[in-house]
Amino acid sequence: MFRIVTIIGFVITIAGIVCHYIALSVGKGRRWRPIDILRKLVFLLTLLFLEQKLSAIGIFRKLVYLLALLCFVVLAVTGFFPTLILGEHLSGYLLMVHATFAPVFAGCVAVLSVMWAHNCRFTKNNLQQEALTKTTDSATGSEKCKIGQKISFWLIVSLTVPLILSIVASMFPLFGTDIQKLLLNLHRYSALLLAIAAIVHTYLIILTQTRK
Amino acid sequence: MRKGLIIAVGLCWLILVVSVTADTEQKLLGDESDGSRAVPVHLIKLFIKLIDGESQQISGDDEPLLPFSTRQTCGPCHNYNKISSGWHFNAGDAKVAPGRAGQPWIFVDADTGTQVPLSYRDWPGTFKPKQFGITDWQFVKLFGRQMPGGGVGELEGLEKGEEIMRGFVSGKLETNCLSCHNADPAYNQSEYADQIERENFRWAVTAACGFASVDGLAKKMSDTYDYLMPEPSNPDVPTVVYCENTFDHKSKVFFDIVRKVPSRRCYFCHSNKIIDEAGTERWTTDEDVHLAAGLSCVDCHRHGLDHNIVRGYEDQGDAGGTCDSCHFTCESCHAKGRLGAPVPEHKGIPPVHFDRLSCTTCHSGPLPGKKNSRVKTARAHALGTLSAVKADDALPHIETVVFAKAEDGKIGPHNLIWPAFWASMEGQVVTPIDMEIVKQTAGKILAVERTRSTGWQKFDAEQIKKVLTSLSSVKSINGSPVYIAGGKFYSLDKKGQVTSAEHNAAEPYLWPIAHDVRPTTQSLGAGECQDCHSTKAPFFFGQVAVDGPVNAEKNADEYKKMLEFQQLPPFYTWAFAASFVFRPWMKIIAGGSCAIIAAVLLLYALKALGFITKILVNKD
Repeated sequence: MFRIVTIIGFVITIAGIVCHYIALSVGKGRRWRPIDILRKLVFLLTLLFLEQKLSAIGIFRKLVYLLALLCFVVLAVTGFFPTLILGEHLSGYLLMVHATFAPVFAGCVAVLSVMWAHNCRFTKNNLQQEALTKTTDSATGSEKCKIGQKISFWLIVSLTVPLILSIVASMFPLFGTDIQKLLLNLHRYSALLLAIAAIVHTYLIILTQTRK
Repeated sequence: MRKGLIIAVGLCWLILVVSVTADTEQKLLGDESDGSRAVPVHLIKLFIKLIDGESQQISGDDEPLLPFSTRQTCGPCHNYNKISSGWHFNAGDAKVAPGRAGQPWIFVDADTGTQVPLSYRDWPGTFKPKQFGITDWQFVKLFGRQMPGGGVGELEGLEKGEEIMRGFVSGKLETNCLSCHNADPAYNQSEYADQIERENFRWAVTAACGFASVDGLAKKMSDTYDYLMPEPSNPDVPTVVYCENTFDHKSKVFFDIVRKVPSRRCYFCHSNKIIDEAGTERWTTDEDVHLAAGLSCVDCHRHGLDHNIVRGYEDQGDAGGTCDSCHFTCESCHAKGRLGAPVPEHKGIPPVHFDRLSCTTCHSGPLPGKKNSRVKTARAHALGTLSAVKADDALPHIETVVFAKAEDGKIGPHNLIWPAFWASMEGQVVTPIDMEIVKQTAGKILAVERTRSTGWQKFDAEQIKKVLTSLSSVKSINGSPVYIAGGKFYSLDKKGQVTSAEHNAAEPYLWPIAHDVRPTTQSLGAGECQDCHSTKAPFFFGQVAVDGPVNAEKNADEYKKMLEFQQLPPFYTWAFAASFVFRPWMKIIAGGSCAIIAAVLLLYALKALGFITKILVNKD
């Protein structure tokens, strides 16, 4: 069941992103020459670099973000690979890698939630459609975060709580087998939603950076 | 017209066959319960089967007094043949599915360094008695002490002329209903074992029953001895004396027969004694929790008339038992709290454990130690009989507890023995050599330096070389002789020197154990995860002795780690166990992070609430 839901979830998300990007490109009359694609990829790579203009806190924030991204990729691969590809539970070395990166990811999300929460809060402007269109290309303050990014950010932060709690709670002798199974399912589905939210969030960030 | 006649004749024939078959399947008085839970009183007449096949009643004033036959005495009211096809009796029947591998009979000959698991069932890793030249007759003599008769004991498959003659003298070892169903405290299974030793098969049940005694030894009687013809002058003639008042005025005898077999009867063949470094005594050990709670063995190990006893493992129904066996597993009682059975909560245990471990892993058998212990079992060491050797190192050497992967893919507690035997090898096929040949050849060489001991008398490569050389000259042996012991395979190389190697035939035989069951608080893992998941936990890293009569070579494994029997990669298992050191940190970091995230969420949720409130107030 989880396998099917996960596959459907990922397919819809990726298809949505691809459709959205194509629609955006067609709307702006972009060309698809190989050189343009290469340029885009190089640009995406530069997003991983630390800009010189960043302050110490900015550098720290970016490093934490990149670490969180790395952890997310590792956790997603180790978590979903056995379920989707092998059709079995997470175990063996993959489980060990998963369990090693999980607390790091949790820590990173905690730091990011503290550092990004203010910028990603919903403002009055977000609620007014006119203001939203006005601020689309703005590059200052809280306006940096677009509404989609904000939603996906708060989704990620919100989903991290059941994700972590479900697995940590199962490590204590508190719950019996039935609830253990429930917690495991809660962990899996939270992870799936979080993964989708994280993919969307990353896509939106890339989109924003590209526009700049 | 002719067609119709043929059909009519055919139908008549069919009806006749069906009616005859139905007649043979007719239920006897004791074959079907009328529903009463009361125990029927067995005040019955004793019978014996005479040579001409006639059944003769026994009376107290007969001359000579004869032993009674269970077939003739119990048979008139109970379907003897059907009962004798039950699990305790049907090992020799090739048509019966072998089921899960179980405890084998273990043949031991210390003089020749032989210790092999034998079974008539097709359990991988066991040998058929015939492979070692052990006939049914010899098998019954060796192990009949703890067999409930029937099956092989009926001596139907004797081939050798001399054994057929001895079979007439000793009589058959009939299905012994009393060995389980006799609740009379005077019933003496140890006496039964003694009678087997004397080859008094025909007299064994009578001697054990509690109201008769038997003297004499059939094994000392000539091949032409007729038990119906008394020989008063011969003191070795088996004779029966029934106790006074055994027969009532109608020549009936009272048997204290019970439907629900007392556990003490099971214990005669199913007892264990752990031999550990602490020298644990029987009186300091606990009984199975089910028995301590007031249940008896047969409350779970039930059966119908066919006596296909419930063995208790999950898929027995597919292995020759009845479908009903599914209702008497651990899960069938404990999942729903049948008869008040505690429903396990397994708090904090990830469900994956139940996919990979059997219930018995945590709840049964002795708790594992740094090094494994040995166990003496009733059937392997003749416990409960007068011939039981009480020394701790008595052969066979059975290692326990070994957590190994079972046939169902789950890890469970097992007993283990390392086979040791002389064999011949053709290609990669290893064939055991007849014990008579081994005794004649190896026995003489190896017994030279032997002193009397209960354990192995170790021998070295030089002695193995002598025996292998000697065996190569035996014409009846095809292929090159080899010796298998302690997990190794010894053979002569081209230079005539002994070399050792790994070989499938040297692998140990393991069988699952399910008792004694321990309660939750004493189960493995009840303390913490580190009971199993630590780099020193015996569950994975405990040492299992590699036992055998050969002096250990340099660099030879004297122990194997438990994880080898679980088919787990050593490094991964170690790394996974080591990772549990960081588990508390992981909980703290993850929990702390979660708390911070929750705080941020709460803070901004409150801010959002404040914002909404402000808007609503402004609207007013």
